[in-house]
Amino acid sequence: MNVLPPFWTLVETHGDELLVHARRLAGDDAEDVLQDALLRALRAYPKLRHADHLRAWLYRVTTSAAMDHHRSRKREVVTDDPPAPATFDAYDDGAFESLIEPLNETARTALRLRFVDDLDYEGIATELGCSTVAARQRVSTAVRTLRETFA
Amino acid sequence: MTPLSESLLESVAAAAVREGLADAIFTRLSSPIGRLLVVQGPEGLVRIAFPEEAEDHVLAEVAGALGPNVIGSDRELAGERDALSEYLEGDATVLDLPVDLRLAHAPFRRAVLEQLREVPRGETVSYGQLAARAGNPKASRAVGTACARNPVPIVVPCHRVLPSTGKLGNYAGGPERKQTLLTLEGVRTP
Repeated sequence: MNVLPPFWTLVETHGDELLVHARRLAGDDAEDVLQDALLRALRAYPKLRHADHLRAWLYRVTTSAAMDHHRSRKREVVTDDPPAPATFDAYDDGAFESLIEPLNETARTALRLRFVDDLDYEGIATELGCSTVAARQRVSTAVRTLRETFA
Repeated sequence: MTPLSESLLESVAAAAVREGLADAIFTRLSSPIGRLLVVQGPEGLVRIAFPEEAEDHVLAEVAGALGPNVIGSDRELAGERDALSEYLEGDATVLDLPVDLRLAHAPFRRAVLEQLREVPRGETVSYGQLAARAGNPKASRAVGTACARNPVPIVVPCHRVLPSTGKLGNYAGGPERKQTLLTLEGVRTP
């Protein structure tokens, strides 16, 4: 059995890039998302069975936290206020975000996981809680819709 | 790219402590005897390391013994930081922080360190005397080892152990630090 490194060593090594990742997914809310992600990670960390791929694991936890954040925000905006504008444009992948803007949130999430996080379909399936086939379908449908939109 | 802010990390640490998720908390403290790594477990200080020790190694040792959720926070250890700073800067004469000796593995070593805690500020003890107090007068060499591997130096005052030759003797943190700590307590050293 390999021993888990001290959690804070991971935070000090990967924290900055996780914040970048959180910012891609949640814009101005990145710090809230990352804080939530690190707490989730702390709850799960002692139960991990091995110390492999910890960086990838932290990315996944951050992605999940960002997606839950989007969901809860969506619930919030069923009020009088107009939806908060997307804040992604301020960052280096603003072009990507404006490209996928015409799509619905499910399709956008699938594309971000595929092309921003560079996950394979299995990874996307884990994030979305669906089968690998369904994950592949969502990505390809999203890409097709985009093609048609810009055709 | 904005780096991770200190305040975000402190918020995570505070929430983790509130939720009971932290196995140990550490802080890095600048002091007159160099930068100290101070680690607190659930029952008290488990480890103080001088800068010569590799931090990764020390924290891994702590994670192995207490659990992997080792968290960094200055704020959560504010009390310990103040107590150590005041003592090392000569502003306070007592340093009474709870200590957890679980990183001293052998029972005799632990007995030695527990006896050592009773040696008051400004007083010294010889290796032989300390061996006798720990229950084995002939074990002065083992006392030397116990002191050399003291997981919580300064608070468990292994700097107060001197050879009966009247010289300064060894110290895990180097003889200069031993000298400084003894001078701070008003002990005249050779």
